[in-house]
Amino acid sequence: MNYLFGRGSARWLPVLFLVPGMFFYFLVSLGPSLATTYFSFTDVTGILGIPVNWVGLKNYEEFLVLGTSARDNFVAIRNTFRFSFYVTVIQFALGLLLALLLNQKIRGANLFRVLFFLPVILGVTIQGLMWELFLYPLGGPMQQILGLFGLQSELLGGLPRQALNWVIVAQIWANVGITMVIFLAGLQTIPEELLEAAKIDGAGRWQSFRNVTWPLLTPSVNTNLILNIIGSLQAWQLMLVLIGYRPGALVLGYVVFAEGFGQTNRGLQQGFRQGYAAAASVVLFLVVLAIGLTTQYLLQRREQRLLG
Amino acid sequence: MFRKSTLIVFLLLAALAIAACGGQPADAPPADAPPADAPPADEHVDEPGDHDAEAEPVTLRVLIHQHPPLVEYMETFNEQFEAAYPNVTVDMSVVNAADLPTVTQTRLTANDVDVIDMFGFANAAQPYMVDVVPPNWQTLIEAGLLMDLTGQPFLDNYYPEAIADAGSFNGKVYQINLGRVGYSGVFYNKDLFTEYGVEVPTTWSELVAACETFAAADIQCMTAGGADGWPIFVGAYGLIGSIYPDQAALVEGLWERTITWDSEKSIDMWQKMQIYAGDFLEPGASGLSHDAAPGRFASGAVAMLPMGTWNAAMIEDVDPDMNWGYFPFPGSENPADNQYMFGKYDMGWVVAENTPHPEEALAYLEMFSAPENYQAFIDAVEFIPTQPGITLDSNLGSELAPYLDNFRVGYEQYWVAPTGAGQWAVPWASFFQPFNEWDDPAALAAQAQADLEAGLQAVGK
Repeated sequence: MNYLFGRGSARWLPVLFLVPGMFFYFLVSLGPSLATTYFSFTDVTGILGIPVNWVGLKNYEEFLVLGTSARDNFVAIRNTFRFSFYVTVIQFALGLLLALLLNQKIRGANLFRVLFFLPVILGVTIQGLMWELFLYPLGGPMQQILGLFGLQSELLGGLPRQALNWVIVAQIWANVGITMVIFLAGLQTIPEELLEAAKIDGAGRWQSFRNVTWPLLTPSVNTNLILNIIGSLQAWQLMLVLIGYRPGALVLGYVVFAEGFGQTNRGLQQGFRQGYAAAASVVLFLVVLAIGLTTQYLLQRREQRLLG
Repeated sequence: MFRKSTLIVFLLLAALAIAACGGQPADAPPADAPPADAPPADEHVDEPGDHDAEAEPVTLRVLIHQHPPLVEYMETFNEQFEAAYPNVTVDMSVVNAADLPTVTQTRLTANDVDVIDMFGFANAAQPYMVDVVPPNWQTLIEAGLLMDLTGQPFLDNYYPEAIADAGSFNGKVYQINLGRVGYSGVFYNKDLFTEYGVEVPTTWSELVAACETFAAADIQCMTAGGADGWPIFVGAYGLIGSIYPDQAALVEGLWERTITWDSEKSIDMWQKMQIYAGDFLEPGASGLSHDAAPGRFASGAVAMLPMGTWNAAMIEDVDPDMNWGYFPFPGSENPADNQYMFGKYDMGWVVAENTPHPEEALAYLEMFSAPENYQAFIDAVEFIPTQPGITLDSNLGSELAPYLDNFRVGYEQYWVAPTGAGQWAVPWASFFQPFNEWDDPAALAAQAQADLEAGLQAVGK
């Protein structure tokens, strides 16, 4: 067997190169994750000087079955699934559509690529503020459009489902650029000859897309689906900026933040419940893990079937 | 050769990275380190009378919340403090009020702050509350992160009851409270009231009639900073207060089940809250932030702004000539029930226990507490003073004067929900449409009580 770095002790050089990366991975990613799991079994507040007590499964019991706060947590889980489903499906479809359009030799394609990608480079706060202005219910642009039809709405400040829908729209707007770019990269790897051959064989646009482009886009499809699903399951920052703590409109990620930093409506000057928040984040992790692994498995099977 | 040199370079880089990350072990002082009991190198230890430019430079880190009149005053005060203590530079951070607890905890834990403005330092968890999470300030004290101010001479400048009620815990003083505020009242546009012949309402029916009058004239009745959520709740505070005037007893009653959210009396409150949320507040109020609502009111677009007295200075900032008044929100049909002004002790100063500059931090509080400076602060932010001899010489002071004898601390200053209680177990008017999903007061009342009951049962009450 040939080794890039030679034989003998040099064989271990690649491993050595990995050490710094692994070190930082343990330091900033795996380490905190393991610590979070440990803290989920404690009553830690995050304040130095306060004893940390082992409480066993108490935080999980409270999160999953205690009183009616558990019901609210399941509403948050349901909202998380709903949010993730719509964001994934629409962002995926829109990103693909934009990529197909901008992959053609049309004037201004580069400009439009930049424009559609632009929101990605803005911070969440900036993204949120832009949507707040657009959806300002006292005469903002959206309200004026509604006014043309004699309608009035609180928009982000309205019913929880409606507020969540607007956050879905903002989330898609903010991230569709990434989906588009990944698809564009995938489209540009498809050999032109294959499409030309299909055309010569009499394939129309739809047949070319279905039988040539779509199968060859499989790696991009898989990447986008996984990124969209995991990203949207964990999303909560735009909700913080756009709708804040709103009973009925919470997602699981927001519950973790609100419980950990005393931002619920349980009382004024609430203590920080970081042990409980850690338990909520472990539940979120398990949800993401289960859906992520299932999706990954299904996508790999599909990839093997299509590409061998 | 190439592979060997690559390996050597890599090992050198790795060693450097590990050395940079590792730093100095905490328990291994360098040979030339000062003794363990010596102050840190950058610490200035005050000697009497050394407040001059020659003294060791000190940066005093102050944390306050975003409130325009407060920030403006503090910038002026800091300049005065720096002039009095030339060696001190005040590094003031301003954060959103909602973020203040998080930033406070983070910076206290990191020993990155000296003087902090803290809210809600009023009522610790009560004995009848079982298995509740204590307020954040209580936890910070128990963690030893706040300085014991007991015996400091500047405490004598304040009313003893203000120190006792909103600054003390377990017999020690940890905060000087800087003023009270009322939040169960309504700002009203006197010119609009005069123009449309509306008298200041003293009963619920009169308030409804006033709003109908303004609606007929195509003028919005009320607004609130709904984008921040809580202003819609606070705006309806008078409704809770007029029905349950003893708010400490209300909280204890809810915990002991002698008062319920689905009683006939409470359902009356929920019904009025629905009218307040759906009919009184202008459409689109949910888009206004708390800081923007006073501007909306001062523009003359709405007749009333139900909000805390801290909005007075903000209204005057927008339109100093506006002719406005303030009356208690009349939640009851009996005027006698509507005479109370509910409110709270507002912000106060605490000092970090681990501050490297305790002398300067205490000097900061002492100078702030001097009557002439405190009067200037009250003039700026329009709090009800907690120092004797200081007066609220303003329009707000005149408007509040008739109600100060009936000042009472509000429900939310006492309330801590039992663990396991659901999210509807609080009397928030913002649960009603158009701001949330509820449109049936009786159904919401039942849900609120069910959520509370679930929590009480969960903690074994």
